[in-house]
Parts: sequence; structure tokens; C-alpha cells
Amino acid sequence: MTQTKPILIAALLASSVLTIPAAALAQDKILRIGMTAADIPRTLGQPDQGFEGNRFTGMTIYDGLTAWDLTKEDEASVVIPNLATSWAVNPDDTTKWVFNLRDDVTFHDGSAFNAEAVVWNVQKVLDESAAHFDASQVGVTASRMPTLRSARVIDEFTVELTTSEPDSFLPINLTNLFMASPAHWQAKFDETGNAEAAWAAFAADPSGTGPFRVTAFVPRERLELAPNANYWNPARTPKLDGVVLVPLPEANARTAALLSGQVDWIEAPSPDAIPQIEARGFTIYANPQPHVWPWQLSFAEGSPWLDRRVRHAANLCFDREELQILLGGYMGIPKGTVDPTHPWWGNPSFDIRYDLEEAQRLMTEAGFSADNPVKVKVQTSASGSGQMQPIPMNEYLQQSLRDCFFDVELDVIEWNTVFTNWRRGANDESANGAHAINVSFATMDPFFAMVRFTSTGTFPPVSNNWGLFGNDEFDALIADARTTFDDAARDAALARLHARIVEEAPFVWVAHDAGPRAMSTRVTGVVQPKSWFIDIAPMDMN
Amino acid sequence: MADISVSHPVITPVRSAGYWQNVGARLVRDKTAMAAAAVLLLLLLAAIFAPLVAPLDPLEGRLVNRLKPIGTPGHVLGTDELGRDMLSRLIWGGRLSLLMGVTPVVMAFFLGSALGILAGYAGGWTNTLIMRTVDVFYAFPSVLLAVALSGALGAGLGNALLSLTVVFIPPIARVAESVTTRLRSSDFIEAARASGAGAFTIVRVHVLGNVLGPIFVYATSLIAVSMILASGLSFLGLGVRPPNPEWGLMLNTLRTAIYAQPWVAALPGAMIFMVSISFNLLSDGLRSAMEVRQ
Amino acid sequence: MLGYTLRRIIYTAPVLFGVSVVCFALVHISPGDPLISILPADASVELQDRLRILYGFDRSYPEQFILWLGRALQGDLGTSIATGRPVTSEVMRAVGNTLMLAAVATFIGFVLGCFFGFVAGYFSNSPLDKAASAAAVFGVSVPHYWLGMVLVIIFSAQLGWLPAAGAGPGGSGQWKFDLEHLSYMILPAITMSVIPMGIIARTVRALVAEILAQEFVIGLRARGLSELGVFLHVVKNAAPTALAVMGVQLGYLLGGSILIETVFSWPGTGMLLNSAIFQRDLPLLQGTILVLALFFVVLNLAVDVMQSALDPRIKR
Repeated sequence: MTQTKPILIAALLASSVLTIPAAALAQDKILRIGMTAADIPRTLGQPDQGFEGNRFTGMTIYDGLTAWDLTKEDEASVVIPNLATSWAVNPDDTTKWVFNLRDDVTFHDGSAFNAEAVVWNVQKVLDESAAHFDASQVGVTASRMPTLRSARVIDEFTVELTTSEPDSFLPINLTNLFMASPAHWQAKFDETGNAEAAWAAFAADPSGTGPFRVTAFVPRERLELAPNANYWNPARTPKLDGVVLVPLPEANARTAALLSGQVDWIEAPSPDAIPQIEARGFTIYANPQPHVWPWQLSFAEGSPWLDRRVRHAANLCFDREELQILLGGYMGIPKGTVDPTHPWWGNPSFDIRYDLEEAQRLMTEAGFSADNPVKVKVQTSASGSGQMQPIPMNEYLQQSLRDCFFDVELDVIEWNTVFTNWRRGANDESANGAHAINVSFATMDPFFAMVRFTSTGTFPPVSNNWGLFGNDEFDALIADARTTFDDAARDAALARLHARIVEEAPFVWVAHDAGPRAMSTRVTGVVQPKSWFIDIAPMDMN
Repeated sequence: MADISVSHPVITPVRSAGYWQNVGARLVRDKTAMAAAAVLLLLLLAAIFAPLVAPLDPLEGRLVNRLKPIGTPGHVLGTDELGRDMLSRLIWGGRLSLLMGVTPVVMAFFLGSALGILAGYAGGWTNTLIMRTVDVFYAFPSVLLAVALSGALGAGLGNALLSLTVVFIPPIARVAESVTTRLRSSDFIEAARASGAGAFTIVRVHVLGNVLGPIFVYATSLIAVSMILASGLSFLGLGVRPPNPEWGLMLNTLRTAIYAQPWVAALPGAMIFMVSISFNLLSDGLRSAMEVRQ
Repeated sequence: MLGYTLRRIIYTAPVLFGVSVVCFALVHISPGDPLISILPADASVELQDRLRILYGFDRSYPEQFILWLGRALQGDLGTSIATGRPVTSEVMRAVGNTLMLAAVATFIGFVLGCFFGFVAGYFSNSPLDKAASAAAVFGVSVPHYWLGMVLVIIFSAQLGWLPAAGAGPGGSGQWKFDLEHLSYMILPAITMSVIPMGIIARTVRALVAEILAQEFVIGLRARGLSELGVFLHVVKNAAPTALAVMGVQLGYLLGGSILIETVFSWPGTGMLLNSAIFQRDLPLLQGTILVLALFFVVLNLAVDVMQSALDPRIKR
């Protein structure tokens, strides 16, 4: 106890001196970012914490073979070459792909990036017999490239990837496989003697090919990045002197940290705090994201949603513009799973809009009235990744749908439980009699956006077709898209699928998240694409 | 959170009816305690008669009316994040909040006293078994136990009430046991035994008369702790589920609005504060009124 | 004295075993899949089984408990499911941060509590007593997490005097006791100190009033002992209990920091507990609860032993 005495006295002194500058003046161009995650996403190559992880410890420290184009604000973000310069499927065996690699890339530790490194990185999550196989990275990775099976070196800068079935989505999936340095891991392995410890050491001192490298890491508190001066892509070679990532899960703490100058950028400020943030001279960046906040409807026996008129009526019965008010305007109004500007749009004949009269007409036709309302139960959570403001939003739907003879009951349960139930399906007892489930999802990848919700092959427990929606027509549309290897033709096939999904309406499409983030005006060169991601590398500060 | 240790009450032979009258009279003269009691009574009545008292439906609102300031015509205390009337929600919220604050203490009062008295009176192995189990739970800081239990059981009113009851049983049982043990060996119980009174009579007349009073006073002071803990659980997302109005949950859902309407967002916290301070003051009054020596 | 200390230590052992059973049971009564935090929405059944075996969740509960306890006794609390880092190092780093905050908060609470308590007890039933007692009741009645939010709004967001969150500009890893770092601690420590302040003030007030009412003290005064002498007598007699209450309060703050750490993003055990609960990271949850309960038990033991050594009136 004696040791703490001076500490206590010092603390007392400090508490009497209240006027201390809130943060040391940052002369260097250090960009400090407050994330919503409660912890630093994993740094060993395959981040956790959902897409926030990919955004901050994936794309910064590492590169994938392919990447998202994040340079445009007004067009859908598409997949572009990255560490791979080009790729092609083998026309004789469409489960085999050849990827040509850049020959001028080195990892942060100085070792060269080549075909062997690609094979090594495929093995780390897919080959259990490999010395560096790491089960803890499998979970966040394998499901994002469900068909990839193995990789083989063809020559130093050419690699062949094999899938379990023909799958034209592979290049999109590969944005999620980040290339970690095999040589650096091997050095850690030689020091520690076992794979698990080697990965732990690698996480504390990572090495990738990305525009930033890690300089300091305090778990749960802070990650410091410095620019990689030898980065291979001049357009993405950082001008910043450094980046600091700070987890600030509590929305008010995040806002206060920005307002008091502790950080220069916060993710997801609460819509109610945005007017004050703007009034204090900060800039808000937002753009509708490839994200859907839906009610996913049940097609199980006895579900009121089996009648398409009821599904359409629910989509027409609430005013999405009014809902925007709740979210401070930071919400995209959905016209489907993707918007009309997207290559997968496909001109569906059902127009998602607010049309109370038409909704009431459909409901009357379906046999419902104010005295004979249809009872629907919706399972949702009070919080969760991508869920925006689930309770107020669901309560708003509950209120609005009353006008169209819906008697909505909300079954609010814990987020992780909803998420688990999502894999169990509407027929499972975990559904607790619910006719719809409210889990929001990302729509960058066709499998995640559409296929998993509309294929008979993805009924629970295989994947998230919670509502058991699917038939031969949809299975054929999906097979068509998956086996079309020309990009434009594949997109056209996906557009046909999307149009049919909107017309059949297995969802109530409620909102797209606009993903607001607030930044100090010192930050320049910011491009907010229509994506979950944003590229830090080209940013600067003045 | 708050310390739930207690000073051991003085043991005296059975208190007469005159003593309790005296306590009552002293309590009534205590202006602070009476004011606190009046506030609590008022809030309780408002909560019970919420359907009559509340001006508007606590679950109904329009988004265009959201987050109106205090003093808006038609919404005296403003509106919440969904445009619902704050006054009505605060009145209705009293139901769940008071229920969540009081129920665990009441349940723990009965269960804890029963366990403690049983342990103290029976002694021997029964005592060891009960009290060592109680000790294990007492070895957890109260907030930690409440959060861990409701975190494990999952959010919900029932689970929160259960967790809080488990938190409050050990301190009450310990007090009950220690008072009963000392009482058991005291002269007048020996005398009662010698005069042929049965065990049940001894417990009923002497033990209950001497033990329950002090524990009751102690328990009233726990209600304030329970109010804060219960609303804290809701604040963390481990208590009552929406859309039910409950002060802790309202504080949670309104906390991001604190930049837009700080005063409105602070109201549920002020209600929790008011109730908890009233229970503390009333409990203080009761304690000092009972300290009177005959 | 030595006998009493030994008896207390021996008696603590079964309690500790009970505590470990409760910690283990607590996290296993919870519904849902323990691997949910690393299992993606689309994980295959084979992958789920493989990971279950890898993390030992396929074994029976008694088996899991014995394995866990055996390793825990050697200081190994397992590996966090969410981060892959050892639980022991995660918890210990967090305990250090919480201990630092709790110690400062307890100290502030002790100083203010003693001040208010002495004032109230010395001037019993005067307006000064009323004011000091009001401060004490405020301390035990205010929802402290709400107070924390209000303080952040005023002093960080509006006035910009103090940082809102975190443990220093470089994180707790670069903590130093200089003004810049301490400024991060002021708001959470003050918020955390209100409860011990209230409780200590109320205890001290009662003690002082009781001591002053003793015939012995009245006798001292009558014999012309100076007020300073009376004061020292009061301090000497009130100190053991006040210190004991302070010790117990430190324990409560250590285990009860979750609400405050959540509001201030303070990287301590409360934040750890919060993320462990919401990510359903069972090894981390178990380990954190166990370590906090251990601290609490040991602290209470130390307080008991110290009190019996300091206070000659306590014969055990």
C-alpha cells in the first residue's frame, strides 16, 4: 500500500487542476479513429468484429488477391484486381481458376510475395494438416469463401485455386482472404516452437503487404499503424504519418471523444448527436451501404406470409421517409435488396413504396379487416451489428402496420440468440412461433445478398434461409448465375434472380444503413463509397 | 455497488406494543422521513392508477413529434425518441421500476430471514450447510453477482428479478443468523425454554419479534440499492425489454439523445434518484426511530 | 491473534472452492452456443463439431470443471474464444487498470466521506450536519452511471476540459502518473467515488456521534481535556472501522466497475466483463468473474485480520 501513496496524492492534486488541454496537440499527421468494436479486431490477417474488422485491420495492414474499388462515391463498388493482376477460369474444368500475381510486392518484413505465399495463406484456414493451420481463423474466413478448397503453385507468380463446385463468385469471395507473411510467421514459429504461440506472436507483431504496418499494439485499447513506404501501389501509398485505432463501443463516449478532440474520426455517431457534431464544425460522411435491414418472412406451414398479397401489403404500408426522421436522415430507402443503379437490379415489376390505399386494398382482398387483423410475430434484438436502432424501428413498424390490419407482436431477445436462431429456421422451436425474423445483412457478395435466402440448398441448418423460401425456379436462377463465368453475363443472371426476389417479396425491405461517420475537417482526401468499407490509405491531414 | 453490511441490532427481550407505538410516534415527527414517505406514496399511487393519471398512451407516438423539449404544449415533460409522451411513460414506468426495485428485496427478506433464522435456531450441521452456502454467494461483490447472473440467464424481467433476489439473500440471511444465534443463547430464551415453551412458540414470539424488526429496517435501506442495481441492469441491456416503459431502460434508450435533449434524457435518471433517495431517507428515519431505548 | 488469522485463512479455502463452482456453473447455465462468437452465420456442422472438440466443449461438465480448475490453480485460465489471447493476461491487465481507478476512487471517497462524516457527527443535528448528511445520502442514492453520463456531457463534450473516455492518450500500456494521464482518470474516479463517499460518511457520522456520546468522553471534556485531545481520541477510536469500511468498499468497486467502465470506456475488468457477456466468450467470462471474486475474498480476509489487529475491542 505504501507504494500507492504518492499516486493518490498526485491524483488528488490533479483533480484540483481542472483545466488541462483535453489531448496533446497533434502536430504530426496522425489520424485517430474511434471504432464501434469493443476490442481491436484481430491483427493476424483474418480480422474478427465483422466488416469493421476488415475495414480497419484487414485492408490497412494486408491485401487480398482481389479488392473492392473504393474510389467512387456515386457508383456501386465492384471487385478489382489487387495482388492478382488477372484471373481466368479453366474452360474445361470450371472448378479450377488461374490467378496471375504481381511480381513487385514484398511483405513488411522484407520477404517476397509469390505463389507460395498464396498457397500458404489458403492452407492456414483450409488445410488441417498444414503446420500453420489455425482453427481460430477458420470461423471468420471459411464461410466467406464457401467453395474454395485448395491452391497449387504453377510458377513463381501464377497460382491455381480449386473450388468444390463451379462457382463464379470466387473472385468476389477472395476479397476476404488476406495475405500474411509466411516467412515472418516461420520466424515466430522458430522462436516459440508451437503454432498457436506463433500466431499469437504474429498477431502482436504482424506482417502483411498492406499500405500500413503495425508499430504498437495494446490489446483492447489501441493499435498504432505507420505508413509502409515501400507500398506497391502509388495511388494508395499513405501521406499520413500514422493511424491510431481506438475501440469505443459506447456511442456517447465516442461522440464525446470526438467533440473533445481525443479522436479525429468516429464510426457510427448516434443520429441524435449528429446535429451537435455538425454544429461544432465536424464533417459527416454517409452513403447508402450494401446492407438491408429486413423482416425475413416465414414460408412455413400456417404462416400468414404465404399469401403474396400480405407480403406486398406489408412492404407498402409504412412510410420509409418518416422512418428516416428517426435515423436523422441517415438511412437509404430500399427499392429491393440492391438499388436501381446496381448491375444486379433487373427491373422488378413490384415497386416497393409507401401506398397505404393499395396496401389496405390488398389486405381486404386477402380477407383481413380492422376487426379481423392478421397476427404476426417478429423476432428481433435490442442491439447488434448492423441492426441500426432495432427497437425504435420495429416499434415504428408495429405502429404503422396497424393501419393495414396487422397485429404485430415483437419478440425481443438477446442479439446472439437471434443470430443463432437465424440458422435454425422458422420451423425450429427456437423461432418461438415467430413469422418473421429481423437480422440485417450485407449485400456485396451475391451469395450473402441473395443465394443463401432463396435456395432450397440453404435451408437451415445449412445456411440462413430462415423462412424456408425456395423452389425450382429460384434454384435454376441461382445455378445459372453460379455457372456463368463472364462477368457481365453473370451480373445479368443475378439481375434476373434479384428481380424475381423483389417480385416474390420474401422480405419486408425496411432500410439500408447509410453508415454515417464523423470526421474532423483536418482530414482530407476522404471518399465515402457505396460500401461497408472506406479506404484510409489515400487520406491526408492538414 | 453499495455496501450491504449492517450494524448488528441490539438484542432486548420482546418489545412491547408500547415500544412500537413509540417508534411510530417518533417516525411521524421526523419531517424528512415523512416527506420521503409522501413522495414514495405519491409515486406509488401514480403508478397504480397510471391508466387514470397518465395523460396519454405510453406506447403511442409519432416520429415527427420525437424529442420535443420540456414544456411543449400537450407534452409537459417532452417526448422520447419515438415521440411518446415522457410524462405518461415516467408514470407508467414507475410500475416496472418500483416492482423491480422492491420485489427482490421483499423476496430476499422472506427467504433470507427464513434461512438465517433456521440456521441460527437449529445450529449444528444445518447451520454449517446453510451458512457456508450463503458465504459462497456473499463472497461475490453484489454488482458482479447480479451482472454475471443476469448475463448468464439472459435479458428479461424475470431473470433480472431472480438475479437481484439471489444478490440480497446472503446479507439478510447472515444478519438473521447472527442475531438468532446470539438470541438463542441469551437468558430470556433459556428462561422461556425452562418454562416449557415449545420451539415453535419460542421462534414465533421471541425470535421473530426481535429479529424481523431490525432486518426489516435493513431491508428498506436495500431497496435503494436494488433500484439502482435493477435500473443498471436495464441500462446494460440485461433487464426489462422494450417497449415496456421502465426508468433504467428509458435512460438506456434515451442516452444517445442526451446531445439533442439533455433535460428530457436526464429525466428517467432523476426519477431513479428521487425514489432511491426517498427510500434511503425513510429507512434512516425508521432506524433512528427504532434506536429509542425503553 | 495469529490463531485467529490462521483460522480465518483455513476457513476461506472452502469458500474459495464454492466460488469456483459458482463461477463455472454461472456461465454454463446460459443458453446459446458457447462458440457463437467465432462461428460465422454459415459455419458448417462439421466445422462446429471440430471447433467444439478443439475448445473442449464436447466433454461432460464435471470433466470440464476439473480441467478448468486444475489449470486455474496453475494460473492458466484458458484462451479467450474471441481473441485467441490467454485469459490470464487479459484479466490481469484489466485488473491492474480497474485497481488503479478503484484505488483512486476509494481514496477520494474516503477523504470526502471522512470529512462529511466528521462534520456531521461533530455538529450532530445542526444545519452543518444536515448539509453533510445530505451529501452522504446523495452519494448512496444517485445512479452513478447516470451521473457519469452527465459529467461527460458537461466537462468533455460542452466545456472540453477533460477527456471523455479511455485510459490515457497512449492507452493503459503507456500509463504514467503525469497530469495528462491523470486527466483521463478524473471523471471516472469522481463518478466512482460517490458511493464509497456516501457510505463512509454515514459510517463515520454514526461512529463519531456514538463516541462523543460516551460517558468517558464527556468525562474527558469535563476534566478539561483540550478539544484537540478529544478529536484525537475520536479519530483513534473511529479509524479501525472507517478503514475497514474503506477496504470493503475497494472490493465492491473492483467487482462493481462494469457500469462506470462502460460509460467511460475504461479498459478494466468491467469492460472485459461486458464484452465477455455480449460476445458469449465463456473462458473469458469465467476467468474474469473468478479473479474478481478471489480479489474480493482475499481483500475481505485482509480487512478482517487488520481490523482485529488494530481494534483491541474485537476479541475473537
